[in-house]
Amino acid sequence: MSKLFPKSANRLPLQLVIYLGVLGGIASAGINYYATNKYANVGYAPVQPVPYSHALHAGQLGIDCRYCHSNVEKSGFANLPTAQTCMNCHTQVKADSPLLAVVRKSYETDSSTWRREEVVPSLPADRKAAASGETVPWVQIHMLPDYVYFNHSVHVTRGISCVECHGRIDQMDVVGQAKSLSMGFCLDCHRAPEEHLRDLGDPAQMVTKLDWTHPSGEAGQLKQGLDLVKKLDIRPPTSCSGCHR
Amino acid sequence: MKRKFEHPAAPASELTTGPRYWRSLDELADTPGFRAQVEREFPEGAASLQGVDRRHFFKLMAASFALGGIGLAAGCRRPEENILPYGKSVEGIIPGLPQYFATAMPLRRGAIPLLAETHQGRPTKLEGNPSYARYGGATTLRAQASLLELYDPDRATAHTLKGAPADLAAVNQLLAAINTTYAANQGAGLAFLAEPSTSPSRARMVAVLRQKFPSAVWAEYDPTPDESTASAAAIYGRPSLKPVYHLDKARRILSLDADFLQEGPHALAYARDFAKGRRVTSQDDAPNMNRLYVVESNFTITGSMADHRLRVASGEILMVAAGLAGKVAIDPFAKPTLPAAFQNLSGWIDVCLQDLMQHKGASLVIAGAHQPAEVHHLVHALNVALGNYGHTVNLAQLPGEDLPAAIGDLATAITAGSVKTLVILGGNPAYNAPADLAFATLAKKVPDVVRLGYYADETSQVAGTHLGAAHYLESWGDARTADGTIVPVQPMILPLFNGLTELEVIARIAGEPVTDPYAIVRESFQQRVGGDAEKAFRKFLHDGMQENTYWLPAEVPAVDTVAVTDLVSGFKAPAALSEGNLEVRFVADLKVDDGRFANNGWLQECPDPINKLTWDNAISISPKLGKALGIDPKGTLLQVARVELSEMDRGREFAFVGELTLADGKKIKGPLHIQPGLANWTVILPLGYGRTAAGRVGNDTGHNFYPARTGAAPHFVAGAKLAVVPGERYELGTTQEHWSMEGRDLVREANLEEVTQAGGAGLAFVKRESLEEPGAILGEVGEKLTPAERATEIPRGNSLYVTPKFDGVHQWGMSIDLNTCIGCNACVVACQAENNIPIVGKDQVMRGRVMHWIRLDRYYADGDASAAAFGGEGNREIPEDPQSIVQPVACQHCELAPCEMVCPVNATVHDPEGINTMAYNRCIGTRYCANNCPYKVRRFNYFDFNKRSIDSLYLGPLGPSGMPELAKLAKNPEVTVRMRGVMEKCTYCIQRVQLAKIAQKRVAGSTDEVEVPDGTIKTACQQVCPVEAIVFGNIKDPKSAVSQAKAREQDYALLGYLNIRPRTTYLGKLRNPNPAMPGYAALPFSRQEFNAKNHPPGFKEEAPEPKAPEAKPVTGKTALAPGQMLGGLS
Repeated sequence: MSKLFPKSANRLPLQLVIYLGVLGGIASAGINYYATNKYANVGYAPVQPVPYSHALHAGQLGIDCRYCHSNVEKSGFANLPTAQTCMNCHTQVKADSPLLAVVRKSYETDSSTWRREEVVPSLPADRKAAASGETVPWVQIHMLPDYVYFNHSVHVTRGISCVECHGRIDQMDVVGQAKSLSMGFCLDCHRAPEEHLRDLGDPAQMVTKLDWTHPSGEAGQLKQGLDLVKKLDIRPPTSCSGCHR
Repeated sequence: MKRKFEHPAAPASELTTGPRYWRSLDELADTPGFRAQVEREFPEGAASLQGVDRRHFFKLMAASFALGGIGLAAGCRRPEENILPYGKSVEGIIPGLPQYFATAMPLRRGAIPLLAETHQGRPTKLEGNPSYARYGGATTLRAQASLLELYDPDRATAHTLKGAPADLAAVNQLLAAINTTYAANQGAGLAFLAEPSTSPSRARMVAVLRQKFPSAVWAEYDPTPDESTASAAAIYGRPSLKPVYHLDKARRILSLDADFLQEGPHALAYARDFAKGRRVTSQDDAPNMNRLYVVESNFTITGSMADHRLRVASGEILMVAAGLAGKVAIDPFAKPTLPAAFQNLSGWIDVCLQDLMQHKGASLVIAGAHQPAEVHHLVHALNVALGNYGHTVNLAQLPGEDLPAAIGDLATAITAGSVKTLVILGGNPAYNAPADLAFATLAKKVPDVVRLGYYADETSQVAGTHLGAAHYLESWGDARTADGTIVPVQPMILPLFNGLTELEVIARIAGEPVTDPYAIVRESFQQRVGGDAEKAFRKFLHDGMQENTYWLPAEVPAVDTVAVTDLVSGFKAPAALSEGNLEVRFVADLKVDDGRFANNGWLQECPDPINKLTWDNAISISPKLGKALGIDPKGTLLQVARVELSEMDRGREFAFVGELTLADGKKIKGPLHIQPGLANWTVILPLGYGRTAAGRVGNDTGHNFYPARTGAAPHFVAGAKLAVVPGERYELGTTQEHWSMEGRDLVREANLEEVTQAGGAGLAFVKRESLEEPGAILGEVGEKLTPAERATEIPRGNSLYVTPKFDGVHQWGMSIDLNTCIGCNACVVACQAENNIPIVGKDQVMRGRVMHWIRLDRYYADGDASAAAFGGEGNREIPEDPQSIVQPVACQHCELAPCEMVCPVNATVHDPEGINTMAYNRCIGTRYCANNCPYKVRRFNYFDFNKRSIDSLYLGPLGPSGMPELAKLAKNPEVTVRMRGVMEKCTYCIQRVQLAKIAQKRVAGSTDEVEVPDGTIKTACQQVCPVEAIVFGNIKDPKSAVSQAKAREQDYALLGYLNIRPRTTYLGKLRNPNPAMPGYAALPFSRQEFNAKNHPPGFKEEAPEPKAPEAKPVTGKTALAPGQMLGGLS
């Protein structure tokens, strides 16, 4: 048989194992990098321009989500706070912190609330320079594809808590994506809203109370949810037109 | 089991009578090429890539895959995106919610009050301001499209002084220098040429200017006719009077060459009022329907709505007017002697006049603005004699201002060398001034020409200085609507390119201390209101109008009987028109106006309402003239030639080219389009095309006919000759041949007499006409259901298809009233603006790839259904005087949608509320759905029309890609921008539906009041419609407007016999002809043709009974014996 196989062939099994191992590694890395759904990017927690801690503000200090995300009940977007919102407190608290320099600059250079007399073309050059309008470049974490139209207001005003999609933000020092946000994730809830509905008549169940769970456990939640579905005529869309326009 | 639908089998007689409900000349001629086309899913070639064979295609694809591989490294990874909040909170702005501001689009002689929708400061959609009740929230197609001008990458982006870019400081210096130069000599040597304007602020600034520079020339010019020009209004005794009509109070209307439904600054109000008198909601209401007589040379939208239409050359309108006026009262008027050739009109005139006289005080005579003063004089006498003043027409008292000089006076001054500095504010005189002035050459004689213009156009090329103008959505200003109501023009965004407003330029030249346009407008308001006007001013801006500022009715001047008698008795007939003495009529194009919108892609691609041409204009000639020239598609020999030459093919019209020689010897060339319905010897030249410096979109589209137009006869002139240029052809892009429905009873119409007569079918005539009703298929169970019940409890009937569950809170549906639809095309452009629909360019239009989600099918019918007209050797002439019908068609949202059954990937499915949805991200582009759609309403993205410019579509992956930044701003953020390879179609404005539902749920909170109140949602087409023909809403609610519309007896479904149950249904059309009129036809032409096609004489005896299609069980009381339909009708 040695005529057929040279001696070096003895190393072939080992070589094959190494080859396949390396190849498999590259392939899985490639698939993970290129071919996975990025909106299902659970755990994505980019570095933000300001090391803002939700655990401190929302958790320890107990500031309601809607103090900063003030339009979440009115608009499809849960807005990020303007620098002005931050400065409401931070003119007093940690007013000189270097970590807040970006926020202060944005607050000071903003031009959007100028009176119209000040924006006429005859504006002096030095005023224009002051109006550079720098903003805090927060990095988007929860990102849906452009063809998906998610609306925050309709969810929170009908009894779906923030925690359902965002997880325990109040425990995060650095915010990361907690749930997959894939279409399957959306549909799971849209097909069984009773598992998540809160009774807005009960102050304890406020949608921004991220730690609330039904005191009677899952069975209690289910019972309450089914009642609410009937009472509020909850019919979450499960057809294309609900989210795609 | 697969089931194949057959359209109702044509009786054997069809072979000889043919489809008589025709859309284009080729369809009428029924050429083999046309037959082949209508049987295709898309027009031929629409699906093939030009000049690319399979081999080449794979080469290209390989290259693009390779590029794609490179791109993967950078492009496929999730991009890191930032969210950028404001530094300081802005009052009223909630990110994600649009804001609405009142503003107005200023027109030259009016204004359209608007509500502009802005998203974070950028306007994305314009809608009419409902506070202004006269327009009721409606707008014109031009107003809809004017948004695109704001984001036009070709607009002037810099000021240039002597060709070099200049900043604002330099411009201000220049304007101040003009002031100082002419301050010394009272303005001698200074001249202005502006466009007419209704702005009170501009009037104030011009008064200031004239006061400071009394010797300066202030001239105004506009190529379109004005109903209150000095010459026409002089008949009323005062030049500052103009007529304002109230068509809702008129039951008999006579239009003398007036296209009042479309042309003119107040057309929106007239169309709305006309529709009020036209709409028939119930049997009792029917006798009140108005009647419209139209005498005209062109075939206009107004003409297409006429109950009686008389084709007369524009130059002969005076004869008709004299004929009418001469008979109103014999004393003191004398009866004019009509020329022998027009003796046969005498009967028409008599009957029309008699009808008008029977409705004294409720009738109305309108003369076209382009008609000479004599006609207006006679019309005034007629309206006085008919007692119409104070009822259907009022004279408005315009403020008596100094009349501006005419452009001719300015030209004289320039020729005399007395003008040193010419300031041209807006307009485009180098392109559209009367040809005999040779304005471009003339302007070069002026040492210093300063031009304020939105585009660097033809006029800017002859001006040394070009100042970029601000768009009206970037400007402060004010304006008056055509009835005088003052409206504010508010900016939605700061000038994108530092543009200047006209007010500011005038103020700076006048040396005013206040030059800020806002301050000028505020001051004008202050002067009007007086006192502390701040609160009133805020209300003015909020409401978008100042109440009770319309012009007051003036006293009606007595008729100058002597002058009228002279006009009538001294009437001299013009030389008879003939092939050798043609009349040329110049009309502003319905889309690009006088040329100002030439660079607007939405308007360029919007088909002309009548001739359906896009991206072009053509010399329209009558069928008779076409025959005389030997270019009409008639006769067996020609027919053979036509197959080879293929006059119409894939949306191309291979037009002959004609050379028009005017009386003064001037020659112009252009493509010839044979237009049925024109006066025999009138040639229509639409103005506004053939621009050379319009921009990338508008350059070299169409032909410029301004060189044929002189100041002496700006609107029509006789004495022209037309010759066909041998061997030359020109391709016109037309949407006319696309998406044909093969001419059945798609539009159902009846004469009012049939509806009102005792024992007749009444308004249910639509059901009587044919079997094409879902009710017939649903059987007796289905018949008994109300529309609301039918929406949710669909009886299966004999359908094999399992019906979707319609268990949503709402069931959406739409009703379109064909009786009031005038076919203005505003819905087409409104839909385009709302739904991010791209333009595709002339080349793609000619391949049948137009993307409009809603189209207006325009059908002709002439009733001359001679059996030998088709197929045989018989009459093949193009009818000269057809009736015209329009039908808006968008996705019908069938409950049993054929498109859904064939989609392999479930990209198009039903939602529980009855909307046929389209999931773009699922679509793989098989186009099966379009193939299976009986309405041909689906549109396919053959290219990345949004990303690629229309001239580089074929460059492949290496071509330039990406949307211009400016164009991105115009997109509606609520609607997905579609990519190449996906299908799209009308969604019932799903974004509006969803946002309204969400808003309602927000309001409902912890209650179950989730049903959206009726009237909350208006689709874009419904919102813009001036005649309120479109109603959308919840058909589950029996009280909703749409349910009530659908409950009306004239309601019918298009192709209802297919049992696909469209959610959009139509209300049948009514005509109201006068039985006493010579040539009165008891049935509308289309009905005559329908009957002639399906039930020729002797049908029962000779022809076998047509076999009912297999899939169409005809049962019970709904089954009509074929002869039954004819009973009492013919």
